Amino acid sequence: MNILIRFNPAKPKAGEEVRVQIVVQHPMEPGTRRDASGKLIPADHINELAVLFDGQPIATVKPGPGTSANPLFAFKMKAAKAGQIKVVAKDLTGKSGERTADLALA
Amino acid sequence: MNRRKFLKASAGTLAASLVVGRVGSALAQGGLEGEDIANLEKGLQAALGKGFKDLVPSKDVKLTAPTIAESGANVPVEIEVGLPADQVKAIYCFCDKNANPLLFSFQLLGGGVLPYYATRVRVAETAPVRAVVETKDGKLLLASQGVRVTVGGCG
Repeated sequence: MNILIRFNPAKPKAGEEVRVQIVVQHPMEPGTRRDASGKLIPADHINELAVLFDGQPIATVKPGPGTSANPLFAFKMKAAKAGQIKVVAKDLTGKSGERTADLALA
Repeated sequence: MNRRKFLKASAGTLAASLVVGRVGSALAQGGLEGEDIANLEKGLQAALGKGFKDLVPSKDVKLTAPTIAESGANVPVEIEVGLPADQVKAIYCFCDKNANPLLFSFQLLGGGVLPYYATRVRVAETAPVRAVVETKDGKLLLASQGVRVTVGGCG
């Protein structure tokens, strides 16, 4: 599972709002689609995404089957101090992926 | 009470409740295209244990979604809450006509995270998308936006 993390602005000032964009490369099968022979494709989507800042959980996303393929998850936080963002994603088949990114202040 | 009186009385209350029900629901829903409150109710009960009548439409919740989406498989949704971050517990998003109406939930756990969330969702067919914000004091705030879909995103 390939996870990308981007900050906007890339280097915020202390106390500034920063938008954290997370993109996970995942097919996010909703379990309602059929293949060419008419068989249902089993559901396989990310059902939990945990975001940690310096080891402290700061947000949890629980996407349902109604989230697009290669989903984008974006949230905003106050950049009080520099630190490390860690994203851990799990899907229905038990696969998981994680990625860290360092948030630096200007 | 004899039969005649009973019938008269019950007919009166029935008519009154019909009128009230119609006006009440029209106010709450705003007559968006493709509404399916019964299906939405299932998702609300499963996710929150609450029904549609427990949701309060609020100006503090800003839901940004396209009114017309070419492909239902990739509909950008942005939710902004005009409340202090420490008052917001979670952000939920529902779509009336999806087989599983709950699109996602976003839990704020502190650490400076602001009540804002953006993602891309699947919309099965033309229906309203609804943002539900759960506050710390247990209120459920609602914002709805009708999305017209040309090609569904779940089939």
